[in-house]
Amino acid sequence: MKSDVKSTLATIPSFYASVLQALSTQGRVINALVLRETKTRYGEHKLGFVWAFIEPTIMVTVFVAFFSMMQQDSQGAMPLVTFMITGILPFTIFREVMVQMQGAIAQNRTLLGFPQVTTFDVIVARGLLEFSVLSVVFVVMLFMVHILGYRVEVEDPLMLLWICVLMALFGTGIGFFFASITPLIPSVRQITTVALGRPLFLSSGLFYTAESLPGFIRDWLLYNPLLHMIEFGRSAFYYEFESTYASWSYVYSWVVCSLALGMTTHQAMRRRAIVGI
Amino acid sequence: MIKLSNISKRYRTSAGVRLVLDDVSMTFPSGKSIGILGLNGAGKSTLIRIIGDAEPADAGRVSCDGRISWPLGYAGGFQSSLTARENARFVARIYGEDPHYIEDFTYEFSELGSYFDVPLRSYSAGMRSRFAFSVSLACNFDYYLVDEALETGDARYKEKFRRAFEERRANASVILVSHNEQTVRRNCDMAAILHEGSLQLYDSIKEAMQNYQILQTRTH
Repeated sequence: MKSDVKSTLATIPSFYASVLQALSTQGRVINALVLRETKTRYGEHKLGFVWAFIEPTIMVTVFVAFFSMMQQDSQGAMPLVTFMITGILPFTIFREVMVQMQGAIAQNRTLLGFPQVTTFDVIVARGLLEFSVLSVVFVVMLFMVHILGYRVEVEDPLMLLWICVLMALFGTGIGFFFASITPLIPSVRQITTVALGRPLFLSSGLFYTAESLPGFIRDWLLYNPLLHMIEFGRSAFYYEFESTYASWSYVYSWVVCSLALGMTTHQAMRRRAIVGI
Repeated sequence: MIKLSNISKRYRTSAGVRLVLDDVSMTFPSGKSIGILGLNGAGKSTLIRIIGDAEPADAGRVSCDGRISWPLGYAGGFQSSLTARENARFVARIYGEDPHYIEDFTYEFSELGSYFDVPLRSYSAGMRSRFAFSVSLACNFDYYLVDEALETGDARYKEKFRRAFEERRANASVILVSHNEQTVRRNCDMAAILHEGSLQLYDSIKEAMQNYQILQTRTH
């Protein structure tokens, strides 16, 4: 009995050592993968990193132009330019994290031949890169419109950051789910681009607030957790706006469920996802 | 040494479940080059990928007292959109080696010259394997897993590799799988045969060759 305790005690330090060792390997691998992804995504074009800014900038410009032509310079007390930025950028974080993660296993299959590179690592590396790049784009865009003379005063920067993190985590859950099943069922890709892309783009409150909607449409759209998150994002950004419809518990339930779904599917499918059925 | 204990692996194909490795147990001694012979489709690549932990086995475990390389072969684990230099750095980072050292060694040893900064997709098969072997030599593994590939490149370069591997033989072992008896005869000290899911190790190359020849004629 006594020797049992002794031997258990003796294994504790080696247990921690092996956990630390595994964590440091994983850190090294994810670091190497992020650097490699950066190279493949932004290193091949002459404009490189500028590409990351172009798409969101075009999207914001188009929507601002469209709504100004409709003689609408602001949404309530919120100026149009920052209104679009605070809608489009958090949504882009969600969508790009999801889309980039989706292709992670299928497009990195050769790297999985290295024993220490796991499917988890390649998926997470893509999400991390996407989240950090788009966060930088978000900040730079706000800075640019400030230079152009628009008022940029963020009421609660930490809450805005938290909303971006929640967007990324929500995208991570769904991204893990699709990353695990796409290698087995490639046609899933169409579902995410067509079925998920457009409807979510239109129903997440990118260019309207929940309050501005007619009641029966609002009731339906409030099932979409992204609308809640964007409402919270704008509440954090503007002193003048406080959403009366968004619910934290609704947002957290969706984020937790998506992560649970993603991780479970990944755990169940990863072996088959590597080998391909 | 590398120890395989009760390794099993099956694949589901359209023709039904196929048992590739059936309860394989074996110990590979250190400091020896071991060749594993098998007919096409015998499961050689699967076996070496399991030893290198690139693919999980259905049952059983692999234990090992040193660092094992990734399975070296034509395909390699490399990103074809990146240059040799970038791939070398990637390998250095995931193995926790000094990226500069790995980069310099690979550049010298692979003799790729200006191709070193060209994406791998424009490489020939020979150049690719030259690169793959150079990176793995740079990393100083205790065990090198080789999948069919030593026979690429011109004669002079092949000789250079053989010498480099022989120098390492004192503290490194090679496990090579091939369907070609010549490759095994030239590079290995011991040989094993993988056939119908079971692995048989022979002390002498000669005995293994005889059995392999019988196997080949029987199936032809």
